[in-house]
Amino acid sequence: MGTFSVIQEGPVNALALNRDNTQVAIGGRNVFKVYSIEEDKFKEIYNLRSSKHLNLSFSCNDISWSLIDDNYLATAATNGHVCVWNLTKMGKAMQEQDYQEHKRTVNKVNFHSSEPNRLISGSQDGTMKYFDIRGKTSVATFVSNTESVRDVQFSPHMPHMFAAVSENGSVQLWDVRRPDKCQQQFTAHSGPVFACDWHPEMTWLATASRDKTIKVWDLTSKPTLEYTIHTIASIGHVKWRPQRKYHIASCALVVDCSINIWDVRRPFIPFAAFNEHKDVATGVAWRGDPQVFLSTSRDCTLLQHAFRDASRPASKANPQGMSLNNTGEVLYACRVPANTNLSKMSGLIRKYSTSTMNNSSDQFHLASSVMHHFQTTLSQEPKCFYSLALNYVLSGRSLTEMCEHNATVAKEHGKSYIATVWRIVKTMYGEEYIQNSFNSHGCKNNEDTVSHTNIPAGNLALASLDHSTDNERQSRGGDTPAAQCSGGDDETETEDQVDHGLLYNNGFTSYSNFRLGLPRGDFYFGDNELDIELDGLNTVADFKSSFRNSQQLGEQQDWTLPNEAFNIRHEIQNHSPPPEQFPNQNSPDINDDAPIAVEDSAAQGVLTVSNIPERCVWDPSSIVISALKYHAMLGDVQTAACMLLVMGDQRRLLTGLDEATQEHWLLGYIELLGRYRLWNIAAQVIKLSWLPNVTQLNQQSTRINTNCGKCSKPLQRAGWLCDRCHTSEYALCSVCHQVVKGLYAWCQGCSHGGHLAHMMKWMSLNKTCPTGCGHSCEYS
Amino acid sequence: MVSILNTIDTGHEDMIHDAEVDYYGLRLATCSSDNSIKIYDIKNGAHMLLEDLKGHFGPVWQIAWGHPKFGNLLASCSYDRKVIIWKEQQGKWSKYYEYANHDSSVNSVQFAPPAYGLILACGSSDGCISVLTYQSETNTWEAKKIQNAHAIGCNAISWSPSITPEPAFDNHQPQTLTKRLVSGGCDNLVKIWREDGDRWVEESKLEVHSDWVRDVAWAPSIGLSRHIIASCSQDRRVIIWTSEDCQTWNSSVMHTFDDVVWNVSWSLNGNILAVSGGDNKVTLWKQNLEGNWQCISDVVKGQGQISGDQRAL
Repeated sequence: MGTFSVIQEGPVNALALNRDNTQVAIGGRNVFKVYSIEEDKFKEIYNLRSSKHLNLSFSCNDISWSLIDDNYLATAATNGHVCVWNLTKMGKAMQEQDYQEHKRTVNKVNFHSSEPNRLISGSQDGTMKYFDIRGKTSVATFVSNTESVRDVQFSPHMPHMFAAVSENGSVQLWDVRRPDKCQQQFTAHSGPVFACDWHPEMTWLATASRDKTIKVWDLTSKPTLEYTIHTIASIGHVKWRPQRKYHIASCALVVDCSINIWDVRRPFIPFAAFNEHKDVATGVAWRGDPQVFLSTSRDCTLLQHAFRDASRPASKANPQGMSLNNTGEVLYACRVPANTNLSKMSGLIRKYSTSTMNNSSDQFHLASSVMHHFQTTLSQEPKCFYSLALNYVLSGRSLTEMCEHNATVAKEHGKSYIATVWRIVKTMYGEEYIQNSFNSHGCKNNEDTVSHTNIPAGNLALASLDHSTDNERQSRGGDTPAAQCSGGDDETETEDQVDHGLLYNNGFTSYSNFRLGLPRGDFYFGDNELDIELDGLNTVADFKSSFRNSQQLGEQQDWTLPNEAFNIRHEIQNHSPPPEQFPNQNSPDINDDAPIAVEDSAAQGVLTVSNIPERCVWDPSSIVISALKYHAMLGDVQTAACMLLVMGDQRRLLTGLDEATQEHWLLGYIELLGRYRLWNIAAQVIKLSWLPNVTQLNQQSTRINTNCGKCSKPLQRAGWLCDRCHTSEYALCSVCHQVVKGLYAWCQGCSHGGHLAHMMKWMSLNKTCPTGCGHSCEYS
Repeated sequence: MVSILNTIDTGHEDMIHDAEVDYYGLRLATCSSDNSIKIYDIKNGAHMLLEDLKGHFGPVWQIAWGHPKFGNLLASCSYDRKVIIWKEQQGKWSKYYEYANHDSSVNSVQFAPPAYGLILACGSSDGCISVLTYQSETNTWEAKKIQNAHAIGCNAISWSPSITPEPAFDNHQPQTLTKRLVSGGCDNLVKIWREDGDRWVEESKLEVHSDWVRDVAWAPSIGLSRHIIASCSQDRRVIIWTSEDCQTWNSSVMHTFDDVVWNVSWSLNGNILAVSGGDNKVTLWKQNLEGNWQCISDVVKGQGQISGDQRAL
């Protein structure tokens, strides 16, 4: 049996199935029909509004079909009539009874399920009437003492009992034989109760209310609340699902057009939802089968729903939540699998029933999550960030000192590669370099060994061009034409007999260690370590072989270090040693294909230095920039931002780095500092910044609120007059005793002050507060 | 590699659908089917319940913390079709704003980067995306709606970071930041939206997933020179989308998992992606130097496999 529908002339208020669930009667303000339900469609049998004598009795609020005699229908009419219809008759005779006893509209009618001819009605006038449909008048009247009765339902368990629910939130249980007083009454909801339904097997009554809850009451003895279902809208109808003890269908009165099937044990999310209706559903009737039901709606349709077409909101719901902490921890909540240790779960689940069947729909209600807090190796990174941020020195010392300090700090945190970059920056831009460009630090990092090729080119260029190094080059070149090693701080120190081959090996070894992420040991070779005296030919040969090695290495590894190492070239420039030495210097860029050839030419250059007239100053900035960018790309914006800050004015040299990127890094760093609540560091970064978009952060969100010194209420209009106490006595100048209407300068120590000019004058002559309070004020 | 610090007894009566740590990592908020949102103090590894927020009338699907510069704000969205923004004042949380203009369950909420102002985006099962902007002058929220963003429904949204790494930067002219959103939906699509004047226009439609897209996450741009978006789907795949200019997007399948992938989320730096899936497993992924994504750790809940297909009757 599938899902199908039929469209009506107007909104449908109610429906009722006959005894064997083969026909359905529907009623509304302009609709009153009986359909037979076929395999895939509804077939109209009667249209009771085809009568020529239409009146308001044909407009139904509710319909009930006798379960004893298949020919009888009862309707609750909007005009207060209760009508009984005999389907075997024709025309006007069909309306067999027309009880005009209720004073206001009738909300519900309900045939007794086992006693023939018995009918109950509930009306907006607050009364219920009990009819024997063979008689012309009601048998009994029940006065609810409430404003209106919204639903009446005979109990399937106690033949004489019926339940009535009222707009005042109460539920009443009546015995049809005792119209004088109700057997039981209790307040079920905080708002009007619109519907109730008896459980087919249990003595449970479900009530639905405008307070957006469905409540299930056990009425075996004293009414006890068994379950509460939370819905998203007021509920107009509820109907238990046959053969499913815990399932109940509901339709909302407003907002929600879907029909929801709930498992009462899981009160928050529907077990299934049917979303076919375009307007709110007004009635639900199960066809005796838990898989099929019919519904009517204000959207003028009658629909048959098949359960297999239901949507399952719970299965669409994300069953897990995950969050990465800024300390690198993972918080993870996930569903507890339903088939795990049930005894353990029973504590977590309300109303846990021990008699569960082994099918998943029966485990639907067993939904709960556990939350785990994991620590991962990532957790080290944020701690490191935090500590580095605290310990880096960004200003107040010389560039060289800061770089050296920061390098040490980085190394202490196991970040040797960052330390290396700091040292490179120191070397490239440190004061020492600027002061004695020729004796600048030989940047002797292990990377040196990896990068040979560019040096010759660099040297070549330098040899003739860099005027700053010209003198030195000349002098040195003259002094030590072939044997000088330019590697070290101390260029004249050429006695070191370090075997260059060994050096290469060492260099590669450490390099690979480094690449493998085993940052033990410092790769910073002492300057002297690298000062090697070599003869030109050997150098060239060694250089070539090592170059090949390094190429191989380079293929396996990323280029970070080469990039950093590249910086070193700059130094070399300054040294401007004879070309032969260049190979020793192990210049960086390995991945360059040209180098070998260049080297040859370099070697030639050595011989004829003066023949190379072209000037092309090597600029380290591009290498520094790419190093910074590389770190930024790794997510380490801290390194990039801090180096920019420390470099100070030297930043100008980084012409290839656009301001947007710089700003991006700084703002990123400030943002991260904020996350770790390192406000002081962030403020320092902002203060040291050279970018308007960053520095202006300082001018934001600083506000001083002024309150009246007398009544402590905020000053609204002006800083010198309190609207409340109409005094300006706290805005007087301590010197001239006039009200200060402009700038009020005050001492933050004793809070006395006055006109800026007066205070300045006073303080230039005196050291203490003009009021005589004795405070030694400071105005800056 | 990974060790469990502790297990938090949340006290929720039903499934938890989202957990979010606040900006400073001091507080954890969880939301559950039981209609409630709970806030815990998680300083120093402890977890102390601070607040139990009740105001929704349906399961609460997702929560989002606001940037602290706007005060302590928490947004939540629910099956009851509402979005609630909660605010803490003097230690008390209360409803600050309620938005009820969706016709179906609201599945996702995200605050925009603070540089854009106080803005919240919401994605709903009615297929629409709402962008709520706080107007400080009038103390009101202005809502813009992207109609029919995703057929059948929108499951997830994420904002692009505010600092655009685009090199185009004209002197000191105040940059007009281009706001972008990424959304994923039941139409298997990932879509990029750009604010154009007072409208939101669809900039890109990314079509690779073969089932519902469950989550999308735009990587924080700190340090990154390009845009990266991660999306995950019921088709069990996580896809990484990259772009230099937000115009052309390249996709690569990061990994195909054994089960539905529910969540993707980026680390603060945008260099590590955490993925959680139907097998109750969290994995952390990092791009290696060749540009391939590698799993760097497994976080296994270790309580067995999830069971029971809820679709059975």
